[in-house]
Amino acid sequence: MSCSRRNFLTGAGAVIFTTGVAGTAVISSKKTLASVQEDGDKRYGMIHDETACIGCTACTEACREVNNVPEGVSRLEIVRSEPQGEFPNVDYRFTRNSCQHCDNAPCVMVCPTGAAYKDEKTGIIDVHQDKCVGCGYCLLACPYQVRFFHPENKSADKCNFCRDTNLAQGKLPACVESCPTKALVFGDLNDPSSEINKVLNTQVVYRDKVHLGTSPKLYKVPHQKGEISS
Amino acid sequence: MSAWETAFQSGVVVWDWIIAIYLFLAGMSAGAVMISIYLKRKVIEGDPSENGILRATAFLAPFGIIVGLTILIFHLTKPLAFWKIMIFVNPTSVMSMGVILFNVYMAVLFIWIGIIFRKQIVGFLKGKFEFVDGLLEKFEQFENALELFLAFLALILAAYTGFLLSALQTFPMLNNPVLPILFLFSSLSSGAAACLLFGVLVFKEDSHGPSVNWVHGFERPVVMFELFVLVTFFTGLIFAGGQSQLAAINAIGSGFWASWFWWGVIGAGMLLPLLLNAVAPKSVKHSGVFILVVTTLSLVGVLMLRTFVLYAGQMTVV
Repeated sequence: MSCSRRNFLTGAGAVIFTTGVAGTAVISSKKTLASVQEDGDKRYGMIHDETACIGCTACTEACREVNNVPEGVSRLEIVRSEPQGEFPNVDYRFTRNSCQHCDNAPCVMVCPTGAAYKDEKTGIIDVHQDKCVGCGYCLLACPYQVRFFHPENKSADKCNFCRDTNLAQGKLPACVESCPTKALVFGDLNDPSSEINKVLNTQVVYRDKVHLGTSPKLYKVPHQKGEISS
Repeated sequence: MSAWETAFQSGVVVWDWIIAIYLFLAGMSAGAVMISIYLKRKVIEGDPSENGILRATAFLAPFGIIVGLTILIFHLTKPLAFWKIMIFVNPTSVMSMGVILFNVYMAVLFIWIGIIFRKQIVGFLKGKFEFVDGLLEKFEQFENALELFLAFLALILAAYTGFLLSALQTFPMLNNPVLPILFLFSSLSSGAAACLLFGVLVFKEDSHGPSVNWVHGFERPVVMFELFVLVTFFTGLIFAGGQSQLAAINAIGSGFWASWFWWGVIGAGMLLPLLLNAVAPKSVKHSGVFILVVTTLSLVGVLMLRTFVLYAGQMTVV
């Protein structure tokens, strides 16, 4: 059997193509980038656009109603800053304080019973109410201080992106739905074509307390005046 | 409202003074066990069950751990669901690991006390439950191993009360690697004080005997080292800058908790006992009243330290 140079090169090329490229393709398909989604799992995140937020707190009220959150506690808060700028050019910075759905969540780490958990299908941090004994360790461990005891069921409680209410019905979270200025964007960070990724690719954003290594999934478009304090 | 009412108002902190009492009792239990094991192995000659300090520990150590855990259960928002914390395990949770530690510690502690006081226990049972005697006799073969294991568990338990809080990234003052060491030494000093107080005044151990002398000699270096650890604790926070520095300044700079710390923890709980021990003549030192005053000061000081760390620690968020 003869083997010309041409035959050898095409053969070798075919071997490299089938083993090399296909092999690395198999390995790299296992999500090397956060935004590449091959396994069907979602990674829900949110953006709060401080340049659009007018501080009307429609989101807070919508959340309370949809998720039956009693008075005296809240799953989300809009915090108003000191006045920014000089008269007549004065405004406020409004920023959102709620569960950041950390990929590396301190509450999940410290919970003695596993009641605080991360749902691997959605990336949402949630609470198994029947497993929670109410020790308060997660309330302390959360660097964002957004957890509280539900006055009625006595479990630790917080935002779960409406996982069991609006999201379960195929709707957007109540806060996103109710926002009159569209300051909230919700979506799948694993999906490169999602609206949230489009905003993340075109806008300047920040996240709170990233230096702690919690990898929060609540992004913020900063207010265009004054210093960002996170 | 007075400063006290404001400081201890419910809702100011998630973990309040009840948790401080629990930390104090668990620490005292562990400290008393560590000291008693040392006494039994190196100091006591003759039957250890006749020794007042060991008798005090046989009462204090289970009391501390049982009362401590009981008040802890009632601090949960769902006390009746406490058993879930025993059946669900999370290896990354310090608290979950602590629950396992507590169970093993209590079991080994009861066996250890049972071995030492076998004669008394069997006498008390008056022929009933004869299997107890046989069981304790079997355990007695492993007395040395069990004792060393218990000493190890007590050491871990004393440090655990610190790890429980140092796992909290939220609060720079608590998220401090020195905290478990600080709590280990405050456990030892509360254990020594409780052993002396109950050993001498309740269980009538000879206040001139070798056991009491040893505990007396042990107290001073422990408190001095504890003071040094406190210095490293706060200098570490101050040198770290940022929120850590702010946490230290908020805690010991000024205000209710700063006064609590300087007058109560450092003054009454550490320096005053050191001073009293240094200036009191030998004859006074072994009197009941003196021991009562000094050990009470130490115990109150340790309880105040735990309360201070909890409340002042939760004041400043990262």
